[in-house]
This record gives sequence, C-alpha cells and structure tokens, in this order.
Amino acid sequence: MKQHIPVLLASSILLTACASNPSHPQDPLEPMNRVIFQFNDKADHYVMKPAAEGYRFITPQPVRTSVGNFFNNLQDVYSMLNHGLQLEPRKTLTDLLRVSFNSTFGIFGLIDIATPMGLPREPATLGDTMAHYGWKNSNYLVLPLFGPSTIRDGLGTAANLTIADQNDLVFRTESDATAAAVLNGISRREKLLGMEDTLQQAALDPYSYMRDAYLQYRNRQVGFQPSSQPQDNSPQEDNIDDLVGPEAEAPAASQPVATAPGNAEASAAQ
Amino acid sequence: MKKLLTSLMLLLGLAAPALAADEPVSLVQDTSQKALDILKKENGKNTRQVREQVESMVIPLIDFTRMTALAVGKDWRAANPTQQEQLATQFKTLLVRTYSSTMVRFKTAQIDVKPTAQFNNSGREAVVKSEVTIPGSADKKNVSIDYTLYKGSQGWKIFNVSVEGASLVTVYRTQFGEEIRKNGIDGLIKQLKDKNEGVKPA
Repeated sequence: MKQHIPVLLASSILLTACASNPSHPQDPLEPMNRVIFQFNDKADHYVMKPAAEGYRFITPQPVRTSVGNFFNNLQDVYSMLNHGLQLEPRKTLTDLLRVSFNSTFGIFGLIDIATPMGLPREPATLGDTMAHYGWKNSNYLVLPLFGPSTIRDGLGTAANLTIADQNDLVFRTESDATAAAVLNGISRREKLLGMEDTLQQAALDPYSYMRDAYLQYRNRQVGFQPSSQPQDNSPQEDNIDDLVGPEAEAPAASQPVATAPGNAEASAAQ
Repeated sequence: MKKLLTSLMLLLGLAAPALAADEPVSLVQDTSQKALDILKKENGKNTRQVREQVESMVIPLIDFTRMTALAVGKDWRAANPTQQEQLATQFKTLLVRTYSSTMVRFKTAQIDVKPTAQFNNSGREAVVKSEVTIPGSADKKNVSIDYTLYKGSQGWKIFNVSVEGASLVTVYRTQFGEEIRKNGIDGLIKQLKDKNEGVKPA
C-alpha cells in the first residue's frame, strides 16, 4: 500500500499531456483531475469519512488532539529542513526549538507545549521551498487520496513519500509506518468532518468550487498573482465599478430576506 | 512655522472625522461581536430562531447586488436589470443558507479585527482584516478573514469576504461563467433556483 502511493502520485503527475481549452488557466489537466476527484469523492464517502467518524466516536478529544500533535511534530522536522533550505534562520530555529521541546517535555510530541511558549507553528513543505525559489505558478493537480494540490506540491509530496517518509523517522518497521500513515490520514480527515456538507451545499459544481478556492488560497500563500484573471479581487482592483454603478445597491438592499425558512431549517437540522 | 503646524494640525483634525476612517472597522467589529454573543448565549443551538437573529443582523450589512456582480464578473453587464435582480436574490439565498447552517461551529471563536482598514478607490472601498481563532479545535491556528466594504448611498456595506485569501464570492465565477456559456443568464438563474429549492430536508 505504502509503496504504491508514490507510484500513483508520480504517474498522475506524468500524465500531463492532454486537455484543451481549460475552463481555468491553471487547470489544463481538468479531465484527469475530475476523474481523480470523483475517485476521491467515492473513496471518501465509503472509506475515509466512515473511518473518521468511527475514530471520532471511539476516541475522546484529548486523545485526538495528542494524535494530531504527534504527527504535527513529525511534520515540524520537515518544516525545519525546508525553512533551512529557504535560508530562513529565524524560522528554522523556531522549528528546531519546537521539535526539541515537544519531543522531550511534550512527551514524543503528544503535547504541543511549544506553541504556548511563543513558538508558533509554521508548516513548510518542499512545495513551499520550490515556490520560494521561483516556481510560483503551478497547475492544479488532484492527487489520489490526498486531494487538491498542484504539480509543484504534488512533486514535493511524492518526493517526501519516496525518499524520506515522516513516519520512517520513528517507526522501525514498514507495517508500523503504514499504520501510522493511515492513522495520520484518519486524524486529518476527522478534523474536516462536516465540511463535505458545506461544499455540497455551497457549490454548483463541487469540483470547480474546490479547485478555485484551493488555488486562490495556495496562490496567495506562495505569493503568486495570476495576471490574466482578476479573480482574487485584490484590493487594488476596482473594475467592479464598471459593472455596478455607485448607487446600484439600493434595490436589493431593501428587499426582504429571500431565504426559504423551511429549507434553512432543514439544512441546519442535521 | 508655528502657524503652519497649527493649520496642519487643524487640517488633520478636520480631515480625520470626515474620512471616518474607523467606520468600516467598527462595523465589522460590532457586528461580529454581537453575532458571537448570540451564538454563545444560545450555546450552539442551531435553531431557526438563533439563525434568524444573526441573519437579521448580518444581512442588512451585505450588498448582495454588488456581491453577485463580483461573482458573475463580466457577464453581469449582459444581464438585464430583472435578470440581475433574480441572480442577486438566488445567490443571496444560496449564501445565506450555506453559511447560516455552519455558523454554530464558530460559537467559541475569538475574532480579532485589525484596527486599521485599508482604503482603496479614493476612500470608497475598504478592506478590513481580521484573525479568527477557534480555541476548541485541535489546530490552534489563526484563520485570516478579510472583508471588503463599499460606501454607497446607505453607508458601508460588505460585498466580499476572503478566508485565507480564498474569496467566498469569486470562487463562484468559473461555475457561473460555465453555466452562462452553456445556457445563458436565464440558465444560471434556473440552476441557482433549482439548487435553492432542491435541497432535501435532512
């Protein structure tokens, strides 16, 4: 299982040929991405989500927090390496102190004592490092099981998994590391329980909603500003005035609330 | 020199209230605080009454026409006033329903509204930044939420909200554009309507 993930990732990245006339400039791989999105959706519905719900059911919150902290602590080791590669001495030192304190006084990372000490967690991935050195514009890529990503970040993830998986740092045997990877996945999914309903409720097309939200989020994170599309509504952009006259807001503002009360009631009663 | 200073001070003193620099900030600050107080008081009960209380407070502060125009983008110009009104109504229904059913999750949230707004478009547009912390969640990470406001005839109103750089409004632009390209503006109105009416009771 574990060896297969990098292969899957690599093959999905290598399948970067096709697609014409993309509906989003950063998504030339849309046909393939949609297929993987569908697969993930099914996998989530039948495996990940039930597993996360079961996990939430059988574990109390403090246990789940500790599990999350434990994996975050392993990830902090990679953040430290990446901040180092980015020549960010202060952040590298922060990560080093975080890992040191949390791995010792924090009992193998189960307790995050570094954050209250004033050492904020700031994850950095290999993708961030590649973006730092200039690869800011990267096309959208949906990874099997991992979900929304970009070519750049997907390569980073694949490299991590093949060369130095974080669970290999602490787990000696392959099966332990695999079990840890599964637990990590379930723990991450548990934090997002309930989100899938919001997505279904909000989106006309969940695929494109997820993609556009992810790309806006990730582009801002790495400091990439798409020039062709004024989508991000950067504060400088004032072309909204071309669309709406200065006083155009008056009619709708005086309208009564259009929510169907029955629907609102039902959707919230879940 | 002293005279110059005095007149400068006067100018600044006069200019500051005229710009009403803190108005968008206090609007966001007050409203989010009041909304949180309601959610907290009701202790996360997601009843219709709670939602209506919050909605009646928040909705008047949002300019849904402008918000819809921003979501639709350049095709907005191709829509006639009736279509624009229908689009705005349907979009509003969709957003209100989506977010009012999730808002109880934020009952324990702490909102830190940044005291200075960023003004653009010769003072008619303002971006108010805030940091939201949810103490209960495992990740004690702050989430940045930015509100974009516009000053119209009825004062400052919100027309865009971004979470960590992702706009809750422009995220619809591709979806809307696709539908308009396929079935025109009426097709989009119909699609939104179907979606709003078709949500099955849970």
